[in-house]
Amino acid sequence: MITVDRLTVSYGGFTAVDDVSFVAQPGRVTGFLGPNGAGKSTTMRVMVGLTPPTSGQVTIGGLHYHDIPNPGRHVGSLLDASAQHAGRTGREILTIGAMTMGLPKSRVDEMLALVGLTDDEAGRRLRNYSLGMKQRLGIAHALLGDPSVLILDEPANGLDPAGIRWMRGLLKGYADRGGTVLLSSHLLHEVEQIADEMILIGHGRIVAQGDKKTLLASAAGAATTLVTSLDNAGLASALTRAGHSVEPMGEGLKVLASTEEVGRVSLAAGVVLTDLRSGGAGLEDLFLELTSATAREAVPGVGVPTTGGVPA
Amino acid sequence: MSTTAPVPPTAGTPGVTLDLSKSGPTPFGRLVAVEWRKMIDTRSGIWLLSITGGLLALVMVIIVLVVGLNDFQVDAAGLSQGFTLPISLLLPVFGILIVTSEWSQRTALASFTLEPHRARVLGAKLVAVSALAVATILVALVLGALTNVLCAAVTGNPLEWNLDASELVWTIISQLAFFLMGYALACLLLNTPGAIAVYYVIALLLPIMLWSTLYAIFDWAKDVLPWIDINTALTPLMTGSDLVGEPVDVDVVNYLQAGWTVVLWVGLPVALGLWRILRAEVK
Repeated sequence: MITVDRLTVSYGGFTAVDDVSFVAQPGRVTGFLGPNGAGKSTTMRVMVGLTPPTSGQVTIGGLHYHDIPNPGRHVGSLLDASAQHAGRTGREILTIGAMTMGLPKSRVDEMLALVGLTDDEAGRRLRNYSLGMKQRLGIAHALLGDPSVLILDEPANGLDPAGIRWMRGLLKGYADRGGTVLLSSHLLHEVEQIADEMILIGHGRIVAQGDKKTLLASAAGAATTLVTSLDNAGLASALTRAGHSVEPMGEGLKVLASTEEVGRVSLAAGVVLTDLRSGGAGLEDLFLELTSATAREAVPGVGVPTTGGVPA
Repeated sequence: MSTTAPVPPTAGTPGVTLDLSKSGPTPFGRLVAVEWRKMIDTRSGIWLLSITGGLLALVMVIIVLVVGLNDFQVDAAGLSQGFTLPISLLLPVFGILIVTSEWSQRTALASFTLEPHRARVLGAKLVAVSALAVATILVALVLGALTNVLCAAVTGNPLEWNLDASELVWTIISQLAFFLMGYALACLLLNTPGAIAVYYVIALLLPIMLWSTLYAIFDWAKDVLPWIDINTALTPLMTGSDLVGEPVDVDVVNYLQAGWTVVLWVGLPVALGLWRILRAEVK
Protein backbone atom coordinates (compact mmCIF):
# COMPACT_ATOMS: atom_id res chain seq x y z
CA MET A 1 0.00 0.00 0.00
CA ILE A 2 1.29 3.43 -0.92
CA THR A 3 0.06 6.33 1.19
CA VAL A 4 0.70 9.84 -0.01
CA ASP A 5 -0.08 12.27 2.76
CA ARG A 6 -0.43 16.00 2.06
CA LEU A 7 2.65 15.96 -0.13
CA THR A 8 4.03 19.27 -1.36
CA VAL A 9 7.18 19.79 -3.40
CA SER A 10 8.25 23.33 -4.25
CA TYR A 11 11.17 24.64 -6.24
CA GLY A 12 11.66 28.21 -5.18
CA GLY A 13 8.40 29.91 -6.04
CA PHE A 14 7.13 27.07 -8.24
CA THR A 15 5.01 24.38 -6.64
CA ALA A 16 5.33 21.14 -8.62
CA VAL A 17 3.22 19.05 -6.24
CA ASP A 18 0.64 20.87 -4.19
CA ASP A 19 -0.88 19.20 -1.13
CA VAL A 20 -1.45 15.84 -2.79
CA SER A 21 -2.97 12.95 -0.82
CA PHE A 22 -4.07 9.56 -2.06
CA VAL A 23 -3.77 5.88 -1.32
CA ALA A 24 -2.84 3.10 -3.72
CA GLN A 25 -4.40 -0.08 -2.36
CA PRO A 26 -3.02 -3.63 -2.54
CA GLY A 27 -4.76 -5.84 -5.06
CA ARG A 28 -5.61 -2.88 -7.25
CA VAL A 29 -4.06 -1.09 -10.17
CA THR A 30 -4.06 2.63 -9.49
CA GLY A 31 -3.69 4.88 -12.50
CA PHE A 32 -1.97 8.21 -12.00
CA LEU A 33 -3.12 10.45 -14.81
CA GLY A 34 -2.16 13.91 -15.81
CA PRO A 35 -0.67 15.93 -18.64
CA ASN A 36 3.06 16.44 -18.94
CA GLY A 37 4.43 18.53 -16.10
CA ALA A 38 1.47 17.88 -13.82
CA GLY A 39 3.67 16.55 -11.01
CA LYS A 40 3.30 12.79 -11.54
CA SER A 41 7.00 12.02 -11.86
CA THR A 42 7.93 14.30 -8.98
CA THR A 43 5.41 12.54 -6.74
CA MET A 44 6.81 9.15 -7.78
CA ARG A 45 10.39 10.25 -7.17
CA VAL A 46 9.42 11.32 -3.64
CA MET A 47 7.96 7.83 -3.09
CA VAL A 48 11.34 6.17 -3.62
CA GLY A 49 13.36 8.82 -1.83
CA LEU A 50 14.99 10.44 -4.84
CA THR A 51 13.35 13.83 -4.31
CA PRO A 52 13.03 15.34 -0.86
CA PRO A 53 9.50 16.55 -0.09
CA THR A 54 9.01 20.16 0.95
CA SER A 55 6.25 19.06 3.30
CA GLY A 56 4.06 16.04 3.78
CA GLN A 57 5.21 12.47 3.39
CA VAL A 58 4.87 9.20 1.55
CA THR A 59 4.87 5.82 3.22
CA ILE A 60 4.92 2.42 1.60
CA GLY A 61 3.41 -0.34 3.66
CA GLY A 62 3.64 1.98 6.65
CA LEU A 63 7.35 2.76 6.25
CA HIS A 64 9.32 5.60 4.77
CA TYR A 65 11.23 4.33 1.76
CA HIS A 66 14.67 4.78 3.35
CA ASP A 67 13.58 2.70 6.36
CA ILE A 68 12.76 -0.33 4.22
CA PRO A 69 15.68 -2.79 4.42
CA ASN A 70 16.88 -3.75 0.93
CA PRO A 71 13.98 -1.79 -0.60
CA GLY A 72 14.33 -3.36 -4.05
CA ARG A 73 12.90 -6.57 -2.60
CA HIS A 74 9.69 -4.77 -1.60
CA VAL A 75 9.21 -1.89 -3.99
CA GLY A 76 9.91 -2.24 -7.69
CA SER A 77 10.21 1.03 -9.52
CA LEU A 78 10.64 2.16 -13.09
CA LEU A 79 11.00 5.91 -13.21
CA ASP A 80 12.93 6.36 -16.44
CA ALA A 81 13.83 3.45 -18.68
CA SER A 82 16.65 5.45 -20.26
CA ALA A 83 18.36 6.14 -16.96
CA GLN A 84 20.82 3.26 -17.26
CA HIS A 85 24.41 3.18 -18.47
CA ALA A 86 24.30 3.28 -22.28
CA GLY A 87 27.43 1.14 -22.48
CA ARG A 88 26.10 -1.77 -20.43
CA THR A 89 24.22 -4.67 -21.92
CA GLY A 90 20.68 -5.36 -20.79
CA ARG A 91 21.84 -8.50 -19.05
CA GLU A 92 24.61 -6.62 -17.23
CA ILE A 93 22.16 -3.97 -16.02
CA LEU A 94 19.91 -6.64 -14.54
CA THR A 95 22.90 -8.50 -13.13
CA ILE A 96 24.02 -5.40 -11.23
CA GLY A 97 20.51 -4.96 -9.88
CA ALA A 98 20.31 -8.62 -8.83
CA MET A 99 23.75 -8.40 -7.18
CA THR A 100 22.75 -5.31 -5.20
CA MET A 101 19.61 -7.02 -3.96
CA GLY A 102 21.45 -10.25 -3.19
CA LEU A 103 19.53 -12.33 -5.71
CA PRO A 104 20.83 -15.35 -7.63
CA LYS A 105 21.92 -14.84 -11.26
CA SER A 106 19.14 -17.17 -12.37
CA ARG A 107 16.68 -14.41 -11.49
CA VAL A 108 18.12 -12.32 -14.33
CA ASP A 109 17.28 -15.01 -16.90
CA GLU A 110 13.81 -15.45 -15.46
CA MET A 111 13.09 -11.74 -15.79
CA LEU A 112 14.52 -11.53 -19.31
CA ALA A 113 12.22 -14.37 -20.31
CA LEU A 114 9.27 -12.76 -18.55
CA VAL A 115 9.57 -9.48 -20.45
CA GLY A 116 10.37 -11.22 -23.72
CA LEU A 117 13.93 -10.07 -24.33
CA THR A 118 15.89 -12.69 -26.25
CA ASP A 119 19.45 -13.73 -25.41
CA ASP A 120 20.65 -11.77 -28.41
CA GLU A 121 18.83 -8.62 -27.31
CA ALA A 122 19.99 -9.02 -23.71
CA GLY A 123 23.56 -9.07 -24.98
CA ARG A 124 23.22 -5.74 -26.77
CA ARG A 125 24.28 -2.48 -25.20
CA LEU A 126 21.53 -0.20 -24.00
CA ARG A 127 22.41 2.53 -26.50
CA ASN A 128 21.29 0.13 -29.25
CA TYR A 129 17.94 -0.50 -27.61
CA SER A 130 14.68 0.89 -28.94
CA LEU A 131 12.49 2.74 -26.46
CA GLY A 132 10.18 -0.28 -26.27
CA MET A 133 13.09 -2.59 -25.44
CA LYS A 134 14.28 -0.17 -22.76
CA GLN A 135 10.79 -0.20 -21.24
CA ARG A 136 10.75 -3.99 -21.16
CA LEU A 137 14.18 -4.01 -19.55
CA GLY A 138 13.01 -1.40 -17.05
CA ILE A 139 9.98 -3.50 -16.16
CA ALA A 140 12.27 -6.52 -15.74
CA HIS A 141 14.47 -4.42 -13.44
CA ALA A 142 11.45 -3.34 -11.39
CA LEU A 143 10.26 -6.95 -11.01
CA LEU A 144 13.71 -8.42 -10.18
CA GLY A 145 13.28 -8.39 -6.41
CA ASP A 146 9.78 -9.91 -6.54
CA PRO A 147 8.37 -6.78 -4.85
CA SER A 148 4.87 -6.40 -3.45
CA VAL A 149 4.59 -2.79 -4.61
CA LEU A 150 5.21 -1.53 -8.14
CA ILE A 151 5.74 2.13 -9.06
CA LEU A 152 5.91 2.66 -12.80
CA ASP A 153 6.26 6.04 -14.48
CA GLU A 154 4.85 5.99 -18.03
CA PRO A 155 5.65 2.28 -18.51
CA ALA A 156 3.68 2.02 -21.76
CA ASN A 157 5.74 4.75 -23.38
CA GLY A 158 7.30 3.36 -26.53
CA LEU A 159 5.66 -0.06 -26.32
CA ASP A 160 3.89 -1.28 -29.44
CA PRO A 161 0.20 -2.22 -29.18
CA ALA A 162 1.06 -5.85 -28.53
CA GLY A 163 3.52 -4.73 -25.87
CA ILE A 164 0.90 -2.54 -24.21
CA ARG A 165 -1.54 -5.44 -24.13
CA TRP A 166 1.15 -7.69 -22.69
CA MET A 167 1.96 -5.15 -19.97
CA ARG A 168 -1.72 -4.73 -19.15
CA GLY A 169 -2.03 -8.47 -18.58
CA LEU A 170 1.16 -8.55 -16.54
CA LEU A 171 0.10 -5.75 -14.18
CA LYS A 172 -3.45 -7.02 -13.88
CA GLY A 173 -2.18 -10.45 -12.87
CA TYR A 174 0.24 -8.81 -10.48
CA ALA A 175 -2.55 -6.88 -8.74
CA ASP A 176 -4.81 -9.95 -8.71
CA ARG A 177 -2.12 -11.74 -6.71
CA GLY A 178 -2.33 -8.99 -4.11
CA GLY A 179 0.32 -6.60 -5.35
CA THR A 180 -0.01 -2.82 -5.26
CA VAL A 181 0.44 -1.22 -8.67
CA LEU A 182 0.73 2.50 -9.28
CA LEU A 183 1.30 3.51 -12.87
CA SER A 184 1.34 6.94 -14.39
CA SER A 185 0.41 8.03 -17.85
CA HIS A 186 -0.55 11.11 -19.77
CA LEU A 187 -2.63 8.96 -22.11
CA LEU A 188 -6.05 8.14 -20.74
CA HIS A 189 -6.83 5.14 -22.93
CA GLU A 190 -3.68 3.39 -21.71
CA VAL A 191 -4.91 3.55 -18.17
CA GLU A 192 -8.69 3.34 -18.28
CA GLN A 193 -8.73 -0.28 -19.39
CA ILE A 194 -6.45 -1.50 -16.66
CA ALA A 195 -6.81 0.82 -13.68
CA ASP A 196 -9.26 -0.05 -10.92
CA GLU A 197 -8.80 3.38 -9.46
CA MET A 198 -7.73 6.61 -11.10
CA ILE A 199 -6.06 9.69 -9.71
CA LEU A 200 -6.27 12.71 -12.01
CA ILE A 201 -3.66 15.36 -11.38
CA GLY A 202 -3.17 18.73 -13.03
CA HIS A 203 -0.85 21.58 -12.08
CA GLY A 204 0.36 19.68 -9.05
CA ARG A 205 -3.09 19.19 -7.55
CA ILE A 206 -5.43 16.23 -7.55
CA VAL A 207 -8.48 17.26 -9.54
CA ALA A 208 -10.46 14.04 -9.30
CA GLN A 209 -10.10 10.49 -8.09
CA GLY A 210 -12.18 7.37 -8.02
CA ASP A 211 -13.05 4.43 -10.26
CA LYS A 212 -14.14 4.96 -13.83
CA LYS A 213 -17.88 4.83 -13.11
CA THR A 214 -17.70 7.36 -10.30
CA LEU A 215 -15.59 9.70 -12.34
CA LEU A 216 -18.04 9.54 -15.24
CA ALA A 217 -20.99 10.06 -12.94
CA SER A 218 -19.34 13.12 -11.48
CA ALA A 219 -19.21 14.59 -14.95
CA ALA A 220 -22.84 13.74 -15.78
CA GLY A 221 -23.79 17.40 -15.80
CA ALA A 222 -21.99 17.71 -19.07
CA ALA A 223 -23.72 14.67 -20.65
CA THR A 224 -24.31 14.73 -24.39
CA THR A 225 -26.10 12.45 -26.80
CA LEU A 226 -25.18 11.49 -30.34
CA VAL A 227 -28.20 10.83 -32.51
CA THR A 228 -28.82 10.01 -36.16
CA SER A 229 -32.28 9.83 -37.71
CA LEU A 230 -34.05 9.63 -41.06
CA ASP A 231 -34.92 13.33 -40.70
CA ASN A 232 -32.10 15.11 -38.95
CA ALA A 233 -33.36 18.59 -39.81
CA GLY A 234 -36.84 17.85 -38.42
CA LEU A 235 -35.39 16.30 -35.28
CA ALA A 236 -33.03 19.22 -34.79
CA SER A 237 -35.82 21.77 -34.87
CA ALA A 238 -37.92 19.61 -32.53
CA LEU A 239 -35.03 19.36 -30.10
CA THR A 240 -34.35 23.08 -30.30
CA ARG A 241 -38.04 23.79 -29.61
CA ALA A 242 -37.73 21.50 -26.58
CA GLY A 243 -34.94 23.71 -25.29
CA HIS A 244 -31.90 21.57 -26.07
CA SER A 245 -28.77 22.82 -27.69
CA VAL A 246 -28.13 20.99 -30.97
CA GLU A 247 -25.22 20.96 -33.36
CA PRO A 248 -24.55 18.80 -36.41
CA MET A 249 -21.89 16.20 -35.96
CA GLY A 250 -20.83 13.75 -38.65
CA GLU A 251 -23.93 12.23 -40.19
CA GLY A 252 -26.05 13.04 -37.16
CA LEU A 253 -26.52 15.50 -34.35
CA LYS A 254 -24.87 16.19 -31.05
CA VAL A 255 -27.36 17.18 -28.40
CA LEU A 256 -26.74 18.54 -24.92
CA ALA A 257 -29.25 16.23 -23.26
CA SER A 258 -29.55 12.68 -22.03
CA THR A 259 -30.40 9.84 -24.43
CA GLU A 260 -33.77 9.47 -22.74
CA GLU A 261 -34.74 13.09 -23.38
CA VAL A 262 -33.69 12.88 -27.03
CA GLY A 263 -35.66 9.63 -27.43
CA ARG A 264 -38.81 11.24 -26.03
CA VAL A 265 -38.50 14.28 -28.30
CA SER A 266 -38.07 12.12 -31.38
CA LEU A 267 -41.02 9.93 -30.36
CA ALA A 268 -43.19 13.03 -29.99
CA ALA A 269 -41.95 14.42 -33.30
CA GLY A 270 -42.43 11.06 -35.03
CA VAL A 271 -38.87 10.91 -36.35
CA VAL A 272 -37.34 7.46 -36.89
CA LEU A 273 -33.98 7.09 -35.10
CA THR A 274 -31.25 5.00 -36.69
CA ASP A 275 -28.64 5.56 -34.02
CA LEU A 276 -28.91 6.83 -30.47
CA ARG A 277 -26.07 6.70 -27.98
CA SER A 278 -24.53 8.52 -25.09
CA GLY A 279 -21.72 10.74 -26.20
CA GLY A 280 -21.61 11.86 -22.63
CA ALA A 281 -18.49 13.50 -21.42
CA GLY A 282 -16.19 10.59 -22.02
CA LEU A 283 -13.32 10.19 -19.65
CA GLU A 284 -11.18 11.80 -22.30
CA ASP A 285 -13.23 15.01 -22.23
CA LEU A 286 -13.36 14.94 -18.49
CA PHE A 287 -9.63 14.42 -18.32
CA LEU A 288 -8.90 17.29 -20.66
CA GLU A 289 -11.29 19.62 -18.93
CA LEU A 290 -10.06 18.76 -15.47
CA THR A 291 -6.44 19.14 -16.26
CA SER A 292 -6.50 22.32 -18.31
CA ALA A 293 -6.13 25.35 -16.11
CA THR A 294 -8.86 27.48 -17.59
CA ALA A 295 -11.48 24.79 -18.05
CA ARG A 296 -11.00 23.29 -14.64
CA GLU A 297 -13.05 25.85 -12.82
CA ALA A 298 -15.73 25.65 -15.50
CA VAL A 299 -16.59 21.98 -15.10
CA PRO A 300 -19.77 21.88 -13.09
CA GLY A 301 -19.99 19.40 -10.30
CA VAL A 302 -16.36 18.53 -10.05
CA GLY A 303 -14.85 20.33 -7.14
CA VAL A 304 -11.19 20.62 -6.52
CA PRO A 305 -10.53 18.89 -3.22
CA THR A 306 -8.85 21.28 -0.88
CA THR A 307 -7.46 18.79 1.57
CA GLY A 308 -7.34 15.69 -0.55
CA GLY A 309 -9.77 14.00 1.80
CA VAL A 310 -7.49 11.14 2.72
CA PRO A 311 -7.11 10.28 6.37
CA ALA A 312 -3.43 10.20 7.23
CA MET B 1 -21.62 16.49 -6.26
CA SER B 2 -17.98 16.16 -5.39
CA THR B 3 -15.21 13.80 -6.30
CA THR B 4 -15.19 10.48 -4.55
CA ALA B 5 -12.91 10.25 -1.63
CA PRO B 6 -10.61 7.26 -1.94
CA VAL B 7 -11.15 4.28 0.29
CA PRO B 8 -9.43 5.14 3.54
CA PRO B 9 -6.78 2.74 4.78
CA THR B 10 -8.34 -0.04 6.78
CA ALA B 11 -8.81 1.21 10.30
CA GLY B 12 -6.86 -0.57 12.98
CA THR B 13 -3.98 -1.68 10.79
CA PRO B 14 -1.72 1.34 10.76
CA GLY B 15 1.39 -0.84 11.11
CA VAL B 16 3.83 -2.15 8.59
CA THR B 17 2.20 -4.15 5.82
CA LEU B 18 5.39 -5.20 4.04
CA ASP B 19 6.74 -8.67 4.66
CA LEU B 20 10.11 -7.52 5.97
CA SER B 21 11.20 -11.05 6.82
CA LYS B 22 12.27 -11.68 3.25
CA SER B 23 15.12 -9.21 3.26
CA GLY B 24 17.76 -8.06 5.69
CA PRO B 25 19.61 -4.81 5.20
CA THR B 26 22.03 -4.77 2.29
CA PRO B 27 25.51 -5.71 3.59
CA PHE B 28 28.24 -3.15 2.84
CA GLY B 29 30.51 -5.79 1.30
CA ARG B 30 27.87 -6.51 -1.31
CA LEU B 31 27.73 -2.84 -2.24
CA VAL B 32 31.51 -2.79 -2.61
CA ALA B 33 31.38 -5.84 -4.89
CA VAL B 34 28.70 -4.13 -6.99
CA GLU B 35 30.71 -0.91 -7.26
CA TRP B 36 33.82 -2.88 -8.21
CA ARG B 37 31.89 -4.55 -10.99
CA LYS B 38 30.41 -1.27 -12.20
CA MET B 39 33.91 0.17 -12.39
CA ILE B 40 35.22 -2.40 -14.84
CA ASP B 41 32.18 -3.62 -16.78
CA THR B 42 31.95 -0.73 -19.25
CA ARG B 43 33.99 0.02 -22.33
CA SER B 44 35.66 3.00 -20.70
CA GLY B 45 36.73 0.76 -17.82
CA ILE B 46 38.03 -1.95 -20.13
CA TRP B 47 39.89 0.59 -22.27
CA LEU B 48 41.51 2.32 -19.32
CA LEU B 49 42.73 -1.01 -17.99
CA SER B 50 43.92 -2.21 -21.39
CA ILE B 51 45.80 1.00 -22.18
CA THR B 52 47.43 0.98 -18.77
CA GLY B 53 48.34 -2.67 -19.25
CA GLY B 54 49.82 -1.76 -22.63
CA LEU B 55 51.82 1.10 -21.12
CA LEU B 56 53.17 -1.19 -18.41
CA ALA B 57 54.23 -3.76 -21.00
CA LEU B 58 55.83 -0.99 -23.06
CA VAL B 59 57.77 0.32 -20.05
CA MET B 60 58.95 -3.21 -19.35
CA VAL B 61 60.13 -3.82 -22.91
CA ILE B 62 61.89 -0.44 -23.15
CA ILE B 63 63.69 -0.88 -19.84
CA VAL B 64 64.88 -4.38 -20.67
CA LEU B 65 65.99 -3.24 -24.14
CA VAL B 66 67.83 -0.14 -22.93
CA VAL B 67 69.42 -1.97 -20.06
CA GLY B 68 70.41 -4.87 -22.27
CA LEU B 69 71.89 -2.70 -25.00
CA ASN B 70 73.75 -0.29 -22.74
CA ASP B 71 74.59 -2.64 -19.92
CA PHE B 72 73.06 -0.29 -17.33
CA GLN B 73 72.72 -1.22 -13.73
CA VAL B 74 69.08 -1.03 -12.54
CA ASP B 75 67.66 -1.47 -9.07
CA ALA B 76 64.28 -2.23 -7.61
CA ALA B 77 63.73 1.31 -6.26
CA GLY B 78 64.19 2.92 -9.65
CA LEU B 79 62.03 0.31 -11.34
CA SER B 80 59.15 0.68 -8.89
CA GLN B 81 59.03 4.37 -9.75
CA GLY B 82 59.15 3.62 -13.44
CA PHE B 83 56.21 1.26 -13.16
CA THR B 84 53.98 3.32 -10.92
CA LEU B 85 54.10 6.20 -13.41
CA PRO B 86 51.85 4.59 -16.07
CA ILE B 87 49.41 3.67 -13.32
CA SER B 88 49.19 7.15 -11.88
CA LEU B 89 48.70 8.53 -15.38
CA LEU B 90 45.34 7.03 -16.36
CA LEU B 91 43.89 4.95 -13.58
CA PRO B 92 42.77 7.79 -11.28
CA VAL B 93 40.13 8.38 -13.95
CA PHE B 94 38.44 5.28 -12.48
CA GLY B 95 38.03 7.18 -9.24
CA ILE B 96 36.37 9.97 -11.19
CA LEU B 97 34.13 7.88 -13.45
CA ILE B 98 32.83 5.71 -10.63
CA VAL B 99 31.17 8.83 -9.23
CA THR B 100 30.43 11.05 -12.20
CA SER B 101 29.05 8.33 -14.48
CA GLU B 102 26.20 7.88 -12.01
CA TRP B 103 25.18 11.40 -12.99
CA SER B 104 26.12 11.51 -16.67
CA GLN B 105 24.55 8.11 -17.33
CA ARG B 106 21.81 8.75 -14.78
CA THR B 107 22.38 5.39 -13.12
CA ALA B 108 22.12 7.20 -9.77
CA LEU B 109 18.38 6.68 -10.13
CA ALA B 110 18.78 2.92 -9.88
CA SER B 111 21.70 2.99 -7.42
CA PHE B 112 20.03 5.28 -4.91
CA THR B 113 16.68 3.54 -5.29
CA LEU B 114 18.19 0.15 -4.44
CA GLU B 115 20.26 1.67 -1.61
CA PRO B 116 18.58 4.87 -0.41
CA HIS B 117 21.34 5.52 2.11
CA ARG B 118 23.48 7.39 -0.36
CA ALA B 119 26.49 7.72 1.94
CA ARG B 120 26.78 3.90 1.94
CA VAL B 121 26.87 3.84 -1.85
CA LEU B 122 29.59 6.50 -1.91
CA GLY B 123 31.49 4.68 0.84
CA ALA B 124 31.35 1.48 -1.22
CA LYS B 125 32.74 3.41 -4.19
CA LEU B 126 35.57 4.76 -2.03
CA VAL B 127 36.50 1.25 -0.92
CA ALA B 128 36.31 -0.09 -4.48
CA VAL B 129 38.53 2.70 -5.82
CA SER B 130 41.05 2.23 -3.01
CA ALA B 131 41.14 -1.50 -3.67
CA LEU B 132 41.78 -0.84 -7.35
CA ALA B 133 44.60 1.59 -6.50
CA VAL B 134 46.32 -0.91 -4.22
CA ALA B 135 45.78 -3.81 -6.62
CA THR B 136 47.30 -1.92 -9.56
CA ILE B 137 50.32 -0.86 -7.49
CA LEU B 138 50.88 -4.49 -6.56
CA VAL B 139 50.71 -5.45 -10.23
CA ALA B 140 53.24 -2.72 -11.02
CA LEU B 141 55.56 -3.97 -8.30
CA VAL B 142 55.38 -7.54 -9.55
CA LEU B 143 56.15 -6.36 -13.08
CA GLY B 144 58.99 -4.23 -11.69
CA ALA B 145 60.46 -7.23 -9.89
CA LEU B 146 60.12 -9.32 -13.04
CA THR B 147 61.90 -6.63 -15.03
CA ASN B 148 64.64 -6.51 -12.43
CA VAL B 149 65.20 -10.24 -12.82
CA LEU B 150 65.10 -9.99 -16.62
CA CYS B 151 67.60 -7.12 -16.65
CA ALA B 152 69.98 -9.02 -14.41
CA ALA B 153 69.67 -12.03 -16.66
CA VAL B 154 70.28 -9.96 -19.80
CA THR B 155 73.25 -7.99 -18.47
CA GLY B 156 74.70 -10.51 -16.07
CA ASN B 157 74.81 -7.81 -13.36
CA PRO B 158 73.98 -8.83 -9.81
CA LEU B 159 70.35 -8.45 -8.72
CA GLU B 160 69.72 -5.38 -6.61
CA TRP B 161 66.69 -5.51 -4.24
CA ASN B 162 67.03 -2.18 -2.52
CA LEU B 163 63.37 -1.24 -2.16
CA ASP B 164 62.81 -0.62 1.52
CA ALA B 165 59.51 -0.98 3.28
CA SER B 166 58.91 2.68 4.11
CA GLU B 167 59.51 3.68 0.50
CA LEU B 168 57.03 1.04 -0.60
CA VAL B 169 54.41 2.19 1.90
CA TRP B 170 54.78 5.83 0.86
CA THR B 171 54.53 4.89 -2.80
CA ILE B 172 51.24 3.16 -2.07
CA ILE B 173 50.04 6.09 0.04
CA SER B 174 50.83 8.61 -2.65
CA GLN B 175 49.11 6.53 -5.36
CA LEU B 176 46.11 6.18 -3.11
CA ALA B 177 46.11 9.93 -2.46
CA PHE B 178 45.92 10.67 -6.18
CA PHE B 179 43.17 8.09 -6.78
CA LEU B 180 41.19 9.56 -3.93
CA MET B 181 41.78 13.10 -5.13
CA GLY B 182 40.13 12.09 -8.40
CA TYR B 183 37.26 10.57 -6.45
CA ALA B 184 36.98 13.69 -4.26
CA LEU B 185 36.93 16.14 -7.16
CA ALA B 186 34.33 13.94 -8.85
CA CYS B 187 32.11 14.06 -5.74
CA LEU B 188 32.44 17.82 -5.68
CA LEU B 189 31.84 18.50 -9.38
CA LEU B 190 29.60 15.55 -10.40
CA ASN B 191 30.64 16.13 -13.97
CA THR B 192 33.00 13.87 -15.92
CA PRO B 193 34.84 16.30 -18.20
CA GLY B 194 35.06 18.93 -15.48
CA ALA B 195 36.43 16.55 -12.87
CA ILE B 196 38.95 14.98 -15.28
CA ALA B 197 40.17 18.40 -16.45
CA VAL B 198 40.54 19.79 -12.92
CA TYR B 199 42.22 16.59 -11.78
CA TYR B 200 44.88 16.65 -14.49
CA VAL B 201 45.55 20.35 -14.04
CA ILE B 202 46.07 19.92 -10.29
CA ALA B 203 47.74 16.51 -10.27
CA LEU B 204 49.86 16.68 -13.40
CA LEU B 205 49.99 19.99 -15.24
CA LEU B 206 50.63 22.42 -12.39
CA PRO B 207 53.29 20.25 -10.69
CA ILE B 208 55.21 19.76 -13.93
CA MET B 209 54.81 23.18 -15.51
CA LEU B 210 54.58 25.54 -12.56
CA TRP B 211 55.36 24.13 -9.14
CA SER B 212 58.69 22.50 -10.01
CA THR B 213 59.90 25.70 -11.71
CA LEU B 214 58.81 27.92 -8.86
CA TYR B 215 60.30 25.46 -6.39
CA ALA B 216 63.64 25.50 -8.15
CA ILE B 217 63.82 29.29 -8.45
CA PHE B 218 62.19 30.89 -5.42
CA ASP B 219 62.90 30.29 -1.76
CA TRP B 220 59.38 31.21 -0.70
CA ALA B 221 58.05 28.47 -2.98
CA LYS B 222 60.02 25.91 -0.94
CA ASP B 223 58.05 27.05 2.13
CA VAL B 224 54.65 27.50 0.55
CA LEU B 225 54.26 24.77 -2.06
CA PRO B 226 54.50 21.78 0.29
CA TRP B 227 51.39 23.15 1.99
CA ILE B 228 49.49 23.39 -1.30
CA ASP B 229 50.54 20.55 -3.55
CA ILE B 230 50.19 16.86 -2.61
CA ASN B 231 53.06 15.83 -4.82
CA THR B 232 55.49 18.41 -3.37
CA ALA B 233 54.44 17.39 0.13
CA LEU B 234 54.75 13.64 -0.44
CA THR B 235 57.97 13.54 -2.47
CA PRO B 236 60.33 13.88 0.53
CA LEU B 237 58.50 11.06 2.31
CA MET B 238 58.63 8.80 -0.74
CA THR B 239 62.20 9.44 -1.87
CA GLY B 240 64.02 11.19 0.95
CA SER B 241 64.69 14.19 -1.27
CA ASP B 242 62.63 17.16 -2.43
CA LEU B 243 61.20 18.12 -5.83
CA VAL B 244 64.56 19.23 -7.22
CA GLY B 245 66.37 16.21 -5.84
CA GLU B 246 68.03 17.77 -2.81
CA PRO B 247 68.09 15.47 0.21
CA VAL B 248 65.61 16.30 2.94
CA ASP B 249 65.78 15.44 6.61
CA VAL B 250 62.29 14.11 7.03
CA ASP B 251 60.77 15.93 9.96
CA VAL B 252 57.41 16.12 11.65
CA VAL B 253 56.57 19.12 9.46
CA ASN B 254 56.78 16.88 6.38
CA TYR B 255 54.14 14.61 7.84
CA LEU B 256 52.01 17.61 8.69
CA GLN B 257 52.31 18.91 5.14
CA ALA B 258 51.43 15.50 3.70
CA GLY B 259 48.43 15.21 5.99
CA TRP B 260 47.23 18.74 5.32
CA THR B 261 47.46 18.50 1.52
CA VAL B 262 45.47 15.27 1.63
CA VAL B 263 42.83 17.02 3.75
CA LEU B 264 42.85 19.92 1.31
CA TRP B 265 42.48 17.88 -1.90
CA VAL B 266 40.67 14.77 -0.66
CA GLY B 267 38.93 15.47 2.64
CA LEU B 268 37.52 18.88 1.84
CA PRO B 269 36.10 18.11 -1.62
CA VAL B 270 34.66 14.80 -0.36
CA ALA B 271 32.95 16.55 2.53
CA LEU B 272 31.49 19.28 0.34
CA GLY B 273 30.55 16.77 -2.37
CA LEU B 274 28.89 14.41 0.08
CA TRP B 275 26.92 17.29 1.56
CA ARG B 276 25.71 18.10 -1.93
CA ILE B 277 24.97 14.52 -2.99
CA LEU B 278 23.00 13.66 0.14
CA ARG B 279 20.70 16.62 -0.49
CA ALA B 280 20.52 16.46 -4.25
CA GLU B 281 17.37 15.62 -6.09
CA VAL B 282 18.14 12.69 -8.36
CA LYS B 283 16.42 12.89 -11.72
